[in-house]
Parts: sequence; structure tokens; C-alpha cells
Amino acid sequence: MSEMLGTEIAHAAGFIANETPRIVTARFDYEDSFTLERYEITGGYQALRKALQQAPEDVHKEVTNATLLGRGGAGFPAGVKWGFCPPGVWPRYLVVNGDESEPGTYKDRLLMELDPHQLIEGCLIACYAVGLSQCFLYVRGEMAVAQERIARALNDAYEAGYIGRNILGSHFSVDIVLHWGAGAYVVGEETALIESLEGNRGMPRLKPPYFPASIGLYGQPTIVNNVETLSNLPWIIDNGADAFTNIGTETSPGTRMVAVSGHVKRPGVYEIVNGTTTFRDLLYGQDMCGGIRDDNQLKAFVPGGGSAPWFTPDQLDLPFEASQVGPQGSMLGSGAIMVMDETTDIPAAALTLTKFYAHESCGKCVPCREGGTWLEQILRRVVDGRGSRRDLDLLIEVGETICPGDFPHAAVPSKGIEAKPFPYKMTTICFVGPSAFAPIHSALTLFREEFEAKVAGNDDRVLIEVPVNV
Amino acid sequence: MSDSVPNEVSVNINGAEVRAKAGEMLIAAADRAGVHIPRFCYHERMSSVGMCRMCLVDVDTGRGPMLQPSCMVPVAEGMSVDTQSEDTKRAQEGILEFLLVNHPLDCPVCDKGGECPLQDQTMAYGPGESRFVEEKRHYEKPIPISDLVHLDRERCILCDRCTRFADEIAGDPLIHFTERGNSTQVLTFPDEPFSSYFSGNTVQICPVGALTAAPYRFKARPWDLDQVESTCTTCSMGCRTAVQSSRNELVRYLGVDIESVNHGWLCDKGRFNFEATNSEERLTVPLIRDPNDERQLLGSDWGSALANAAEAILDAGSDGIGIIGGSRLTNEDAYAWSKLARSIIRTDNLDAQLGDGLPAELVHSLPPATIADACEADTVLVVGPDLKEELAILHLRLRGAATKGHTKVVEINAAPSGCEPYVERAIRCGSGEAAKYLGEILNSDDDLATRLREGSVVAVVGRSSMAESDHSSIAVAALIRDELPHATFLTALRRGNVRGALDMGLAPGVLPGRTAIDNPSSALDDIWGYTPSMKGLDTTGMLQAAAEGKIRTLVLLGADPLSDFPDRNLAAEAIQRAETVISLDNFLTASSAQADIILPTTAYGEQGGTTTNLEGRISRLTQKITPPGSVRDDWMIATELAWRLGGDLNLTSKEQIWREIEQVAPSHAGVTVERIMSEEAREGILVQESSVEYIFPSVQEPPIADGYGLRLISGRKLWDASTTTSMSPSLRPLAEAPVLKVHPTDLQRLGILSGSDVRVISTRSTENLKAVADESLERGTALLPFNQPGFGANRFIDATAAVNDIRIETL
Amino acid sequence: MGYLDGFKVTFKKLFEERVTTEYPKEKRPKPPRFHGRHVLNRYEDGMEKCIGCELCAGVCPAKCIYVRGADNPETEPVSPGERYGYVYEINYLRCIHCDLCVEACPTEAITESKLFEFSFANRSDAIYTKDELVVDDDGQPKRQPWELWHDGDDLATSGWMRATAPSGNPDYQNRVGWSGELGYGVRAPETGQQEKFPELSDLDFLTEDQAEEQH
Repeated sequence: MSEMLGTEIAHAAGFIANETPRIVTARFDYEDSFTLERYEITGGYQALRKALQQAPEDVHKEVTNATLLGRGGAGFPAGVKWGFCPPGVWPRYLVVNGDESEPGTYKDRLLMELDPHQLIEGCLIACYAVGLSQCFLYVRGEMAVAQERIARALNDAYEAGYIGRNILGSHFSVDIVLHWGAGAYVVGEETALIESLEGNRGMPRLKPPYFPASIGLYGQPTIVNNVETLSNLPWIIDNGADAFTNIGTETSPGTRMVAVSGHVKRPGVYEIVNGTTTFRDLLYGQDMCGGIRDDNQLKAFVPGGGSAPWFTPDQLDLPFEASQVGPQGSMLGSGAIMVMDETTDIPAAALTLTKFYAHESCGKCVPCREGGTWLEQILRRVVDGRGSRRDLDLLIEVGETICPGDFPHAAVPSKGIEAKPFPYKMTTICFVGPSAFAPIHSALTLFREEFEAKVAGNDDRVLIEVPVNV
Repeated sequence: MSDSVPNEVSVNINGAEVRAKAGEMLIAAADRAGVHIPRFCYHERMSSVGMCRMCLVDVDTGRGPMLQPSCMVPVAEGMSVDTQSEDTKRAQEGILEFLLVNHPLDCPVCDKGGECPLQDQTMAYGPGESRFVEEKRHYEKPIPISDLVHLDRERCILCDRCTRFADEIAGDPLIHFTERGNSTQVLTFPDEPFSSYFSGNTVQICPVGALTAAPYRFKARPWDLDQVESTCTTCSMGCRTAVQSSRNELVRYLGVDIESVNHGWLCDKGRFNFEATNSEERLTVPLIRDPNDERQLLGSDWGSALANAAEAILDAGSDGIGIIGGSRLTNEDAYAWSKLARSIIRTDNLDAQLGDGLPAELVHSLPPATIADACEADTVLVVGPDLKEELAILHLRLRGAATKGHTKVVEINAAPSGCEPYVERAIRCGSGEAAKYLGEILNSDDDLATRLREGSVVAVVGRSSMAESDHSSIAVAALIRDELPHATFLTALRRGNVRGALDMGLAPGVLPGRTAIDNPSSALDDIWGYTPSMKGLDTTGMLQAAAEGKIRTLVLLGADPLSDFPDRNLAAEAIQRAETVISLDNFLTASSAQADIILPTTAYGEQGGTTTNLEGRISRLTQKITPPGSVRDDWMIATELAWRLGGDLNLTSKEQIWREIEQVAPSHAGVTVERIMSEEAREGILVQESSVEYIFPSVQEPPIADGYGLRLISGRKLWDASTTTSMSPSLRPLAEAPVLKVHPTDLQRLGILSGSDVRVISTRSTENLKAVADESLERGTALLPFNQPGFGANRFIDATAAVNDIRIETL
Repeated sequence: MGYLDGFKVTFKKLFEERVTTEYPKEKRPKPPRFHGRHVLNRYEDGMEKCIGCELCAGVCPAKCIYVRGADNPETEPVSPGERYGYVYEINYLRCIHCDLCVEACPTEAITESKLFEFSFANRSDAIYTKDELVVDDDGQPKRQPWELWHDGDDLATSGWMRATAPSGNPDYQNRVGWSGELGYGVRAPETGQQEKFPELSDLDFLTEDQAEEQH
């Protein structure tokens, strides 16, 4: 199968199985998990058959009852989101957000590479439930293997009659189009993704309307769902909403995939029980990450993708439950956990993240375009030892123009720092701008002493940057 | 204050209750309430994008105050807004600091410095000091993105105004953002300049000095500009402008936003042709042909020049005089000449149009429409010239109505036009056969026929092609009047004040005030004393008569028949044969260079008065600079001539002339000088009454072209060899050399390679020209622009023929 | 007899030190901030400092300055940047030597010299053109035929004559405010307001050599 897998991509670890129920990763153990044959042998497309025998409203209701939370970052219930389509407006579109580009996140990539048919079946079920006949699969430009596998899966599914006209002999017809992105982080934002899909520059649209469900692709009602969200649907239809809600907690049922990277013994993608699993279970559990590398001390971790405020060991016992993580000053976001052990240079780590967001700003609104780069420039000066104490305050002051008011952060009881709850206010159109500030704010709030060490000795110097070549 | 006005909501802005239209953006409501919210990207004539974040204000809709961009938030009942809260101020300071982070602050050399919204708002709302010590972004300093516009990307704050204008308003999306994040920049596509006819507007709406206009570059600083409001007379749209000068030199025109006409936009021709007024080639003293050497013109004084002119006029007698032109003149000048011709010279041989328009009686008798009517009509039927080339701002307004409103534009034309991107349907007809095609549609069971018959219709009627006679347009007007009695008309006449000239009687058979020659008002009879009773000759008639020797003295009122009359051969013969040609002009044009007496006149910007646009809207012209040399207003020349002819026009000033016009012209009754001087006149005073009737002639269908011939179609381009364009150094290079466009199959049939020179033969002339294949043309037709530098289609046209055919041969 | 009291005063004054001098035979040194006729300065590489921004003309209360800018010729630029002063004229029949032009100048292109002794035989001489105002290759004002110069005047010509500091920061003392690119008029940093006005003899300007030394 190695020729099918293409070149191994070095930076991402693969899936690591554990004892939790497996909803979306059930087939990952098979080497040919991405083929139609394997999918059909393992109960594939049964959920679609089952759904087609029910009324669309019932399927929709089943999904609503399952309280399937969106797995893209915002965690909005999918069934509710579907209900936002204005009645009687046609055509409507389903857009699958496969532009997974949050730093540290690579779960959707595995779902697209290893089980594309599950995603396709999920799309079909969603289309059936909401009455859509056109679906666009937007896959990130850099994910060549995923694109290849999805393309093959689509062709196979078309041939087998799962997609196209009168699916499985019903009156239900759907077309699914695969679209490759061009590699811009901001296109992960749903309205920017729609712009990109329309052939425009990938820039977020202005809100309101807050949901593309009312006005989306080509001005029509559009459902935008994440890959993992849709991949849950076949299991939910197969096993029923009750079986789904029996796993996890009432507010966060089911399982979710998390991608762990950084200083743990076994970085990789894990499927964990939503709502009850704690960060400690995940990072230290023997069937999961197995602890910090070299048995070092944990210093900090990012709980939900690069744009989330950071946690420290004090927050390890929080479960994967948005209603508990939010008040503690961060978010679960896209399910990417980045672990930093005691050897980490915190200012440098913050710079890495900020640099990413400053570079990925689409340039549409001023605070993100100018503020992001400025933050990066100041932070770089600090990291390089050319900064002053004034620069540390300046970082926060500049950030406050992007996010006025209190910015969320975690508590550090030992330093007397209290948590500031999520969310934050912002002067930008979308979340890219605040994301550039989040790592700086967390790092500076929780580990100010490390920054001060970097600028020690420069305290009162006024530094004027003089260009080398003018 | 009643609470139940429909479609109105009540908003609290800074503690005061403000009534606002439902759905209106908060920033617009605040503007009307006199509360200024700073902004960069918001523009009231374009859609909001919320990019600059400068207009963030505290909005409380019941859930506590929240910073929201006021250009994106529609007003809602009970909304409470604080534009001066601490949060708002902090956001404004922050945004301005961010904007200045990469702004070069080269204000001293920036054309915008001194009138720059970024400067002004930084002073008003900025933080006072920047904390940015890093190196700014650098790009190559200004790059020309078109012949007229320079782009300085360092200064750009990426507000999306220019790009939005290009895309939304002009329909030429040739500039857009490239790159991302900190390197986001506005650019053209590689190797494709921003060659829009409306590019100058982006310079005007740029909130910083990122876009600068080449003709204004480093000409002046805002504080040494003097400004008056005036009306553009480049074409007959009558766009409102601000005319700015420095040290008695015109340096810039800006569009002024009026609802009725131009919405603040100008075409590049109207915006930049001030260079012609400043031209070194302006005539400054009268010239007389040297009696000893026919090829020489001698500088003269007004006394002798006028004496010679009067003598030539007296010699020729009232039947031997022809007065051609006058659409360059102001209404007052046109009236003075109309009065001079009829009451003193006693001739009716006068015509403001050069055989390229419509009969004055037709123009006066059609039920009139306004531009606003057209933009609200269900259907706009365009049967006339390419509006984008000839009436560019009308094109812009119709495009806006078609792309944003419910109006559908239907065009019937023999050749592709610039309106095609937004028309609902472009019907390609044979040259001179528009009426036939329209008739077929009206008699079909097409949806369009139903809509035309049942919905509101505005017909834009003008001359589609200079190579066909006006009969084609007359037939269309007749058909619409008969079949669609509810339709109203906009006459697409192109020349500056042509409508005003016709209103003042500069056309055979009509008197001032849109009355027929046999029906003068009693006031006119009293004041004029004499009016001819017989209708005189139009331009074609006068030129024919001159060529036959019947007219001995030709007066050219700013007219250049050699370039502008469709039939150059006839014009040349007439000017050759006429004993005396008197020309009143700003420049030595092709025709005035051949004249015997040349009287220099004031140009745009040097004269006050009024002008009338194609709707019949009268608006004010304001003098801005002192004219050069000893040039005079046209009306002064008329009064002087009258005096030397033994009469007296009794005209003493423009104001007094207008008082007389108001008295004698029935259609202008009530349009007093006071009204014209009032604020009301900014939007223009619409005059629509008319008592002229037009008897439609019976129109023959044009003959079928023979198998070898190509039917010639010829329209004007915006950038052509017209006087103001060729006398403006920045604009002159934009006029391209003419090429003959022919369908590739026709070229193939004749064995001609696209791009090669061919011999073009018509009944009038044989010339060599470059032929290029163009698939968008119909087979059997040939398209040649009317008046490009070096060559005009008028060499091939016979003005008396209904249509003109040419043949082409390989060399 | 009261009128003789007046003579008493006159007589007494005969033996006191005179406050007037016998100008022009005898001249007093001019104060450092003396406002004489203007010069247009250059950078060390000979480029003109004037960018033709017209701020001086805009601020001039007597409307005596006429400036026009133009595009710098690409091959032989006159000043750094896009724009240069293409026309620069000062009408000395109008100039009141208020120095607001110097305050307004963003590039320190226009400064005032100590030269004030000039008289004109006709009006056009009173209008100094750019050629006359711009310093020569050595940074020296160009001497016009109708100007009266004395020894040492040439050393004390151009120089920093702003009332406010270039950065707008009033606390700019102890910094050299005027770079004196061409070696003339370099002044020791100002030390802020002093109790007593310094002796005029302390306010000498540096010569070229002295300036070099300080560098």
C-alpha cells in the first residue's frame, strides 16, 4: 500500500489507538481502510440506506438529538446549524471544510486520507437531511494524499451509485465536487472558504449575516461543516442518537479526535471520549501519550489549536468539555494539543505561533494586517535580546487594539494569577487577528519572568531600529 | 415627532434621538444627524466592506455596548450609539496608530498632503505619538498603473475603495489585492494596465496619496488651490465639477456628488482635459489671412478683425450667410448668436449640430425623460451611439441601475458596444435597420415585447453610426412613439451644450424657448423686432450651398466641420469655395486654420453662464481663471458684430442676457437669474416644456449592400482626435491610430491577413488603412472609428446617403 | 529757567559710555538667532535639501515665497526622493523675516543667514530666485552684487535657526540640532533656557576646522 500512501509526511504522527469507543476511527486499523471494498465490508453505506428509508426531517432530528457539536473549532451543534436555512429558499449547498490548517491540527487529514468514504457517506446523509443536492468538498491545497484518496473514493462511489442521480434507487440525487484549496490559513474560516470556492480572494465576509446558512455560497443558503463532524454521521444514523449521547457527557456527547504534538512520548491523533477525558488522561495516560518526553516536567500546553490561550499543569485535570474549559480561560477549538516541557523557550514558542498568524493574515482588516506583523516584530526583538521592558508592555498594548478589554488566560495559583474566562472582544473581522495575540498574551501573562530575563540589562534603552540597507 | 412613520426607526446617537431610514447604515444616519464618525473605506456610493475598522463605535442593542463597525451595522429601533466613548476613542487611536505603522509619512511630497483624510483624522482622532520604531514596509515608489494614474503602494492603507470602484462602479475590475498579510498590496494584473475610462475617480476617492493623477502630479499643493463649482461641458451629461486653479492656471477638476447626474464621478476625459485650457497653443489674438499671401495668417487687433467680419457678412447678404456650430457656447452666448443671426443678419441658416445629431424639432418634441427616470425604468432601450465612448457617465449610471437595481437595459446596435457587459440583451442589427429589428421584437411574443408594452420604458435615442443618415434614428423614434406611447426619451446628443444651443434656437426652424420659427412668443417679437419666417438650412444644407457658391460667408462658431462633419469632402469643398470663412475658436483646428478671419474666444473655466444637459437641465458654469491674451466671450463678439452691422443686440452681460432669455423663451419662463444663482441650481433646474412639433418624414429602408461591399459603421471613441483631447498633453497619447475592423471571414474571403494594410474605397475617397479581424462584428460590416488621430472615417462618408458602403482590396 | 535742565542731561551723557555704534563703520556681532536673508541648503553629496513641498509658502504670513515642485529627473536628480523645488523665489520687499518658513521646513532646506545688508536698485533684484538662494558647492551663500559682506560673515551664515526642535520634542537640549552638513554653521548643542543672556562674544560660530575637530 505504500505507493498509495504517497510520500510520508514527516511532521505529522499517525493515529494511535486506545481503549475508548471508536466512532470515526474504527477502520483506521486496516491498511486498505480508504478503499470502497473495505468500507463496504465494514458496514459502509448502511447508514445511508437506513437514512434513505426515513423522512429527511427524522434524520435531521436524529442528528439534533445526538447534540453533535461541530468539530472545527467553534463547537456549534450541527443539527441546530442545519436548522438555520431559511425555509423555501433553493438551491442550498453543503460545503465541507477540509481546509484544516490550524497549527497543530491534523485529525481531519487522517480522516480524509484513511476513511474518505465515511466522510462521503456523512455528506450524503447531511444532504439528505437538509435537502441539498450539491456538495462541495474543499480540501486544503497541501494535502495531496487526501485529495488523491478522496478523488478516488468519489469516483468509486459514483460508480457504485452512492453519489449521483437517484442514489440507491431513491429519488435522492446529490453531486459532490472536490475542490482543492490554494493553501491559505484564513480559508479555514467558513466565509473565507466560501469566497475562495466562488473563485474570489479568500477573505472573510463581514458579519452579519453570522451564519452562511442564511446567505452563503453564491448568495444561497449554505451549510458549512467540518470533516470530523460529518464523519460522525454514519455512526449516529447506524447506532442512533441515544447510543451517541451515551458516550461522553450530556453537553459534549460522543468522542472527538485530538491531535497531540510536542514534547510527549507518543505524539499522534487520539480518539477520546468527549466531556469526561481530562488533559491529564490524554497526556499522561499509558494508552495515550504516555507522559512527557524524557520524563521532564510539563511547562505549558495549548489546549485547542494555535489560536487558543495556553494552559499550565494547573489545568491538567480539566475535561474536554467546552463549558469547563471556557471559564478557565481557553477553548477546545480544533482539538490540537501542543505540549511544551520545561526545556521550552516560552518567548520563542510564542514567536513561532505569532509569526504564523501574522503571515497568514489575509490583509483585509487593519488590526490584523498591521497589528499582527508589528507584534511579531516586537516579539522578535525581545526574543533576540534586543528588546526592552517597555516592549513587554507594548506587546500587550498593541494586542489590546486588536482585542480590547480583558483577554482570556488561565489561572496560575502559585503566581497569584486568576483566570479570565473566554471569549474575548475584537476589532477585527475574523479570528486570525486575535490568534496572533493569543500566544503572546498567554506566554507573557503566565511566564513574564522569562521575557524579563530576555530584556534584562536593556531596561531603559530606547531602541530605534535602523535599517541595514537603505 | 411621531413614532409610527413607516420605514423609519429611532436611534439614539450620543444621547440625541435621531430618525433614520430602516436598513440604512449607522454611519449614514450619523452623518445626516451631523455626527461625524471617522472612516476610510466607507463610501456612500459604494457597498460597505468594513475593512479599515476606523468607524468602530459603541453600539448597544440591549445587550450592552459593543464595538461595531458603523458602516456595516444597519440602524435598528432603540439602538443606542456612543461615538465618543472611551472604548471608541481607544479603538480609533489604535487603528490610526496601526495605519501609520507602515505609512511612509512623506506628506511634504505627497499630492494628498494638506487634504488627506488620513492626516486630518490622525490630527482629530489619532494617538499623537507612535510607538513603532521598526522599519516600514518598502515598495518601489510610484508605479504607473495606467497612463493617467500612479500607484504608491507604500502610502496605500488598503481600504478597497479604488478596487471596489473599479469593480462595482466602473465595471473594469483591473486592479485588485495581491499577496497577503503585511505584504498585501493593490496591483494591476501583470502586463495589463488599469486602462479604465474612469480611472481618475480612484484618485479622487483614495483616502491617502496612494493613487495620484499624472496630470496633477506635483502641480500644486491643496492650500494654494482656489476652487469654484461648475458644470463639465465635455459631453452633454453636465456632470457637476469642482474646478480648481492655482496661480490662474487650471490644475484639477473633481467630481461633485449630485443625485440627479453624476453621483460624484467623472470620466477621465472630462477630468483631465483642463490641460487644453492651459495649452500654449491657445489663440490669444485675432488672426486675419494675409491679403498678400494666402498661406499666411497675420496677428491682428479686434477692431480690424471685426470690421472685416462685418464687411464679409454685409457683402454676403442674409441668404448668403451660414452659421455653423455653437454647441461649445454657453446658453447666453448661443442666445446672443441666435439673436444676431435672426434679428440683425436676418437669416435662419444656423445649426449647432454638424450633421451628426438629430433634427432640433425631433429633440424638442419627444416626451422627455431624466437620467433618474432611466435608472428607475423597467426597461431602458438604447438605440444610439456607444454610450461608454460618447456619454461615459450616462453609461456609468445605467450600469449602476442594471447591476444594482431592477432596470434592464436592452441595446440595439450594429456593432458591439461598451454597454454589452451589463445589458440584458444586445440585439445586433444591420446598420440603419434598428427600427426594423425593434419592430420585429415588438410584434413578437417575446417577453421583452410584453415588458416594453406594459412596463415603464426610457428610450435613449441617438446616432448609432456617423456612416448612416439620421433617418435611421428618426425611424426608431417614430416607431417607439407610435408603438410605446408611454415611453419617454433621452436624446443621446454628444456635444457639450448642444441641448442648450438648440434651446436657444441655434438650429434652423426653431426659436429660443423651444418654439417653432412660425410661432414666436410675443415677448420675442417685441424684443427682437424681426424673425425670419422661412426655415433655413441645416449644416448639411449650408455646406452644400457653400460648395455650390450660394453661401458666400461661413461663420464657424467653435465648429470644425473638416473633422466633425460626417462628410469631409463636402466640408472641404464648402470651406474652399466660401469667399469668407469666419471662425470663432480657442485653437487653430483643421477648419479654423483655413478660415480668413479667426476670432479667439474664451474656453472652459474662463467663462461664466449656464449650460443645459441632455435632459434639459440647466446648471451654472463658473469662471475660474482670467482668459489669456485678448480673447473674448462669444456673446461679446456677437454684440460687437451687431453694432458694426448697424444694429444693437442690447445685451450687456451674461446676467442680463439670461433675464432676456427668461422673458422671451416660453420653456424657460420662471427660471429666473435668482433661481440659477440659488442652491437649487446645484442639482440643475430641469426644463422640459416644449411647443415644437415634429412631422416625421417617411423613411426608406436602406439599400442592401452589394456582395463586394462592406457596410461602414463609424462611431466616436472617448479618446479621439477631438480638440480638447489633442490639446491635452496627458490625453493626446491615449487616442489610438485608427484601424478598420472587419469580420475574419470577410478578410479571409478577400485574402487579407489581419493586421495588414488594405486599400479602402468608397464613393468619396480611396485611402490605405490597417485592417484587423474582429469576430464580434457581423459579417458584411466594417467598423472604423470616426475621428482618430491622423485619419477620420469622414473621408469615406457621403452625408446625403442613407448608409455608406466601402470596399477593401489588398495593396 | 527749566529748559536749561535739559542741557544738563545732554552734558552728563557726553561722558558716559555710548550705547549706539557708528554703523556701518563699526558693527556688533549678531545674535545667534538673528534672522537675515535666507539660504537654501544642500546635503553633503550636493543634493538640494528642498523638495518643493511649499510648506514655507503656505505658512508665510507675508506671502513672499513662491515655490513650485516637479518630478525629479530620473538620471540627474536634484534632490533625494520624488520631488524637488523647481521654482523657488522669495520677494524681499515683502519678507518680514519672521522665520516661520524655517519652522515649517521638513528637511531643513531653508534657513536664515546673518546677512541683512542688501539694497536693490530695482524690484526684480528684490526677488531672490533659487539660483541666488541655494548655497554653492562649499555650502556658502552666493554673494549677490548688491549685498554688503564683511570678513567672517561667510562663516556665520547657514545654521540651525529653528525655535522648536526637529522632532517636536521641546526637551531637545544638549543635542546638536543642526548637522551643518557642509561644515558651516555647526553649533554647540543648546543647553536650554539660561538665567542670564550669554555674552555675545561667547556665541561665535565654529570654523570648518573646528567643526571637523568636534566630529
